[in-house]
Amino acid sequence: MNKSTLMTTLRYLVSAFIVAVFVFPIAWFGLTSIKPTSAVFNKDKVVVFDFEPTFENYQVTVLGGKKADTASGSNLLMGTSGEGAYDGRSSIASSLIIAISSTFAATVISLFAAYALSRLSFRGSQGYMHWILSQRFLPPIAIIIPLVFIFRDLGLRDTHLGIIIAHTLINIPIALLILKSFFDDVPVEIDQAAMIDGATRFQCFYLVVVPMIKGGIAATAVLCFIFSWTEFLLSLFLTNSIRTIPVKITTFVTSTGSEWGYISALGTAAIIPGFIFILLVQNHLVRGLTMGAIKD
Amino acid sequence: MKSSRAWLPRWLTSEHPFPWLLPVTSLLIVFGLYPVLYSLWLSFFKRNPATRKEKFLPSWNWNKLIEDDRVWDAVQVTLTYASIALFLQLALGLAIALLLDSDRKGFGVMRALMTLPLVVPPAVTGMMFLLMYDSSFGVISNSLYALNLLSPSAPILGTGSTALWGVIVADTWQWTPFMVLIMLAGLRALPREPFEAASIDGATALQSFWHLTLPMMSKIIALAVLIRGIDLFRIYDYVKVMTDSGPGTATETLTAYAGTVYFKSANFPYASAVALATLIVVLVTASVFIKIFKVRF
Repeated sequence: MNKSTLMTTLRYLVSAFIVAVFVFPIAWFGLTSIKPTSAVFNKDKVVVFDFEPTFENYQVTVLGGKKADTASGSNLLMGTSGEGAYDGRSSIASSLIIAISSTFAATVISLFAAYALSRLSFRGSQGYMHWILSQRFLPPIAIIIPLVFIFRDLGLRDTHLGIIIAHTLINIPIALLILKSFFDDVPVEIDQAAMIDGATRFQCFYLVVVPMIKGGIAATAVLCFIFSWTEFLLSLFLTNSIRTIPVKITTFVTSTGSEWGYISALGTAAIIPGFIFILLVQNHLVRGLTMGAIKD
Repeated sequence: MKSSRAWLPRWLTSEHPFPWLLPVTSLLIVFGLYPVLYSLWLSFFKRNPATRKEKFLPSWNWNKLIEDDRVWDAVQVTLTYASIALFLQLALGLAIALLLDSDRKGFGVMRALMTLPLVVPPAVTGMMFLLMYDSSFGVISNSLYALNLLSPSAPILGTGSTALWGVIVADTWQWTPFMVLIMLAGLRALPREPFEAASIDGATALQSFWHLTLPMMSKIIALAVLIRGIDLFRIYDYVKVMTDSGPGTATETLTAYAGTVYFKSANFPYASAVALATLIVVLVTASVFIKIFKVRF
């Protein structure tokens, strides 16, 4: 074997190893979700493949089936006691309602602002952009305490609408900056040509320019969906009974033990939509993650 | 069309930015700016824990903040956490990007697989690592026992000296792919000619990396450091899920401390002050960084 084929082989091996290291935690989590309880909690050795696969954990958490024996004994001893404590169906529904609504709201209203920032020059536009950017860098904890009070006064606490607003709020800066970068890609001459032909600014916006960045809008929406779907802190503070999936999962950990079977089943189920979506936006991922600063 | 709306004042027409910006601006003012000001106002009150009454005393919480050892511990934990994680993620991100930047068969699939950790909710990431760290059946713990690198009497997240590392590893697993993607985009955008010229002149791969790749990527690296650095500074989810600031306060970051004051002592004015302190540090650092490195969005 000559030196260059050796290097190529080595590069393949090292790359494959590193990718495997990064995929491993997800694979292990998925594997745990189909293990019977005895295999998960085996204290003598770590069980890898020698177990009878079961879908009981999914039946309980995703389909709301009846709870089997829990790992840490009587359920009454645990913090999350009672029927349905491990039923994730309402959490899945809540997460879907919240993620879809906040994605829609954030994308649509950011679309207008992004167009204006891209096309209509005005005094203070740079300052406005900085304000938007500072919203992206705002630690959610800094607004969460007043937000709890404001939501309580407006009757938004522990409602879907409340978290939808909160998630729209965190998604706006990201959506706005990404969409602006897509609008910036469209030459201004196109707007000018449309307006010479008699279109108003608004017609030019929704009949000409918006259709031209459809792909970019889809990518933005997907990223907003993922941010809302994975968000934890705001959902934790603003709700008691409505539990989004990330918050629901943390309630499966109690002082007397963690229901790893249920945690991994609901967790694995929660990852799947993100996986599908991220594969759809591979081409715009970098632009999205850097808020339009790097175009790919 | 234009003439039919002639009765509208100019600032309400679609030629003026006002109507376009109105929805975003009003939402951000009501639910973004107003809460920050509310928070500031709240931090000017002294709360009496016994009577639960609040008294206007503007300097009280801010003095308390300066004198609170837990705040300074939290600052130290936050800075340690953020700088170690940032360094690891940047170095690994760049190295893995260089490795995966190839048009050969299979590398495209590997790059796609590399993005998967990014869509896992951070709370679920915390769970994944809790499972693997478990002192009796965790796969990472047991592997480390087998290699004699860890003793079962000192669980990773239950020991003060290793707990922060345990959280850093989870964060690094999730966010190194972010760095890889950005660095890959940067590498792909590099012009070819300087590298060809350098290799004709006999430069080694390492030399052209130091003298060509790194300087040409400096803007992109600065951007990645800014975005990731701020997110690291605001870290909450991993700490809350994995260690809940423990053992003791070994992994208590500023945001986690603010959360603790909020949840456990219900001292809202003081929690506001701690949270605002985080915000001030983040915004000042970010503005200075943006100015120095001329990051543009």
